[in-house]
Amino acid sequence: MIAGAIIATYALLAPLTSLDAVQSAGVPLLADKLWFRIATYIAMFMVMATAWNIIGGITGYAAFGNVAFFGIGAYTTGMLVAKAKWPFLAALPLAPVVASAFAALIGLPLLRLRGHYFAVASLGVGVAVGELVQNIDYAGQPLFGGASGLFLPILSIDNRGLFFFYLMLAAAAIAIAVTWWVLRSRFGYGLIAIRENEEAASVIGVNTTAYKVGAFALAAALTGLAGGIFSQWNVFINQDNAFPIEYNVQMILMALIGGTGTVFGPAAGAVLLQLLIQFLGGSLPISFDIPFVSTDARPIVAQVILGVLLVVVVIFMPRGVIDFFGGRSRLSLSYLRRSLRETSL
Amino acid sequence: MADFVQLVVLGLLAGGVYVAVGIGFGLVWGVLNIVNLAHGALVIIGGYITWQLFSAFHIDPFLSLPVDAVALFVLGYTLQRGVINRIIRAPLLFTFLLTFGLNLVIINVLLLMFGSDFRSVTPSYSGQGLELGNVVVPYTRLASLGVAILTAAALAFVLNRTRIGLAINAISADRDAAQLVGIDLRHAYAMTYGLGAACAGVAGGLIAMIQAITPTAGEPYTLQAFVVVILGGLGRVSATVVGGLAFGLVEAFGQSIPGSGSVFANAIAFGLMVLVLVTRPQGLMGRLR
Amino acid sequence: MTVRKLALLAVAVVAAFACGTASSGPTTGSTITLGAPLGLTGSLTKESILTQQGYNLWQDWINARGGILVGGVKHPVVIKYYDDTSSANQSAVLMQKLITEDKAQFLLGPYGSAATATDAAIAEQNQIPMVEANGAAQSIFNQGYKYTFGVLSPANKYLQGVIDMAATLNPKPTTVFMLSADDNFSLEVANAIVTYAPTKGMTVFPVKKYKNGATNLSAEVQAAKAANADIVLNSGHLQEAIAINKAAKEQKLNAKIFAYSVGPSTPDFIAALGKDADYVYDGSQWTPQVKYTPAFYLTVAQYVAAYKAKYPGLGDPDYHVAESTAACLALQRAIENAGSLDAKKVRDALAALDVTVFFGQIKFDTRGINIYKPMVVEQIQSGVHHTVFPSNIADAQPMYPTPNWDQR
Repeated sequence: MIAGAIIATYALLAPLTSLDAVQSAGVPLLADKLWFRIATYIAMFMVMATAWNIIGGITGYAAFGNVAFFGIGAYTTGMLVAKAKWPFLAALPLAPVVASAFAALIGLPLLRLRGHYFAVASLGVGVAVGELVQNIDYAGQPLFGGASGLFLPILSIDNRGLFFFYLMLAAAAIAIAVTWWVLRSRFGYGLIAIRENEEAASVIGVNTTAYKVGAFALAAALTGLAGGIFSQWNVFINQDNAFPIEYNVQMILMALIGGTGTVFGPAAGAVLLQLLIQFLGGSLPISFDIPFVSTDARPIVAQVILGVLLVVVVIFMPRGVIDFFGGRSRLSLSYLRRSLRETSL
Repeated sequence: MADFVQLVVLGLLAGGVYVAVGIGFGLVWGVLNIVNLAHGALVIIGGYITWQLFSAFHIDPFLSLPVDAVALFVLGYTLQRGVINRIIRAPLLFTFLLTFGLNLVIINVLLLMFGSDFRSVTPSYSGQGLELGNVVVPYTRLASLGVAILTAAALAFVLNRTRIGLAINAISADRDAAQLVGIDLRHAYAMTYGLGAACAGVAGGLIAMIQAITPTAGEPYTLQAFVVVILGGLGRVSATVVGGLAFGLVEAFGQSIPGSGSVFANAIAFGLMVLVLVTRPQGLMGRLR
Repeated sequence: MTVRKLALLAVAVVAAFACGTASSGPTTGSTITLGAPLGLTGSLTKESILTQQGYNLWQDWINARGGILVGGVKHPVVIKYYDDTSSANQSAVLMQKLITEDKAQFLLGPYGSAATATDAAIAEQNQIPMVEANGAAQSIFNQGYKYTFGVLSPANKYLQGVIDMAATLNPKPTTVFMLSADDNFSLEVANAIVTYAPTKGMTVFPVKKYKNGATNLSAEVQAAKAANADIVLNSGHLQEAIAINKAAKEQKLNAKIFAYSVGPSTPDFIAALGKDADYVYDGSQWTPQVKYTPAFYLTVAQYVAAYKAKYPGLGDPDYHVAESTAACLALQRAIENAGSLDAKKVRDALAALDVTVFFGQIKFDTRGINIYKPMVVEQIQSGVHHTVFPSNIADAQPMYPTPNWDQR
């Protein structure tokens, strides 16, 4: 409920901004390109967190390297647009295709691993792919733009900000719809069975390998789609911005905040966490002061606060912030105590 | 031939640091089932202590290693007792996220305290070395390797020959049974993490002699600790020692590939790790558990 | 606090001397807002803070004079900073924030080629001029962007000065071993040497690439030792320069010239290496010893004094600081020349700019990068930086050849 409300509020805010009345009223937050950029970022993370949820939340495999699919999607579209001169919208559909093909390929060996081992191996893939993309040469020339990265031509359309926002929002809607479908399908039941007990799932006739690889590829396709949109939106991609390791942690954190295994939770988590990050980073039009802290030290203290918040959320709200504020439990000391008792020694 | 021998020597010497970084990480992972993303940050705290003692009081970096160990032990014990113990029964992702948060806090507190300047400990004997024909063996690196092996031996001794070590082994084998026979879980867990942090502190002291450090310099070491522990195999100190030395060798030979070998350092390391995981999940030296 | 006030006072005094008789009369106009996202936390903190120092030095100076003079009206300046946590993606968000939310009329660059490339696209789409001083990769300037200007010499020039200098030395070194980090900027530096050194009669071994941020470079140094080249060049960053120098000593890699693109010019390099830092050369955008006759702003000596007054205890300003100040100067002069705060007019004035300041000549080619200012070569001699090339602005002779490690 709460998750749905957060997403709905967010999705409604944007179309409003294109109205002239809002523009001329000068309502803060709504009337500018900054909001579009932040909103597009949020939508991008909605896709990634929702996609992660399919493999991490529903199937229970703690994928820690999904940023590889984001980067592969970005580079697929980037290569086609920058090098092969394809129009962007023709190049975009190939991003999820290539990303999911790659996921299926590496999923076959990786998904034989369990628990931490899968997490670590997938993290390794995430790091290695970025490195390969940057450094592979062919006939003495960098194959994928090398360290210089890829520059895509800036799209010459009106309302560029609005266009990419809607595109990314559409991708988020697709991701949420796919999750909704998965949770109501035989496929989804199989994935949940795997999460709860893989051996038992296998015994009752679930083809665990096919299901797991399917879930991994599906997550990769959605993540790759976000990457494809990102490459044209950002105009410039390289290893740094197409394979940022911190996205791995952020998308999982969003899913956890919103509640894993649910349809809307991860997307709502994305809205909350991105807004928090942007707020602490100072990019929201709300100014704030941290008492007793000089301006020079403020960014650093903001990072400390982010870390402390993370620790507090993880310790006290292991079922997600949405659950915490949602209908199932009340904001109370006993809730906190119960959460602590459940997880601590 | 001399080149080959030199590469082997350099690889093994570099492996010393990976051993030191890996044993603490492997202990915490193997016993507590926590993948400690703050490990690299703990390492760098050790580095800053050694640097501070060297630059302010001219204390030889090797002499300050025990200080690193004790300080980090106290910090580690407190962190586990006060914070991490509270989510020990939560799914594994939570430990990832919790330690990621701790990592963020530690790095930025270091940034507030020490700024972003590159710090390095350069004692008068740094850079000196033994020359055996064409092969050079730098003293500092040789001593680092020695310290790393000694630290590993000391850790193995504590784990196998002391009361607390036996308690740690017991909780590693079966937490609930250990509790039934009267082991204080909270204390034993905190001791384990403290010991892991102490090893990280020693590693940090060694690293401050070998490279220049900044508050963010620990992050690559967390990734490398993963690989080292998995290469060797989870659960035994000696396996991590082998893993660390093997990783040093792999890195040295990877770097020596003509042209651009070392730009694929992570791809090679992680590729190897995935290969080991898939074909031999117990690691090169590990026992199946 | 008192120290800071004194420092401000000192800057103001210096400023007053620098501009002679301050013209009287102009009225104070609206405040000009400039903006820059910088990596105040994260992996680029060190360099970002140097950049911020450079910007702040100019901000103090221009405001002490009352602001930028546009058509008889003085506009005070405020520079807004945001922390992009050393992430290029976040840098783009903050650039947009600066433009739309803070109404920044002009932009100053972030630190690093990746963030600069991303931000250049933002500046272009918003048609706001960005003057940057810390993204030297030419790929940024090959995109046909019209609103990005770099005051610094492009990457390909970084180590060419060392080769030019080497060609004048006796006995002339003839072989070059090139180490390079695998990032955009470093590779441009390295590839330029591969094509340039042969024109000076030197042979270059194949470039040995390593991972950006690598801390263990012993195998690379071993490869350099096996090659036994006269000149060992590194194109990377401070951390790797320190690692290479340490490994060179440990592994007894001897060469006639050790030169590193980035690193030796910072005080950290000497602090970290002590005596072992001696004899090392670097290619530098600027040194405190250069001799340029500025058309406005401070002389080199005054600049160094102003820096030390504002940031006591940090030693001489490093070239990152100087080039960042120079970016502000280019923007200031362009605004004055345009006689307007209109983005388009200032852009045109930037494109037509040709002025010499303490940093050297600032003039942009059609792509927007400053190819007209020479790089200088520095050498660390007995723990002190000296400018050794080109000889017309040098303050010392190169100490050549570098003695073997066991003879120091």
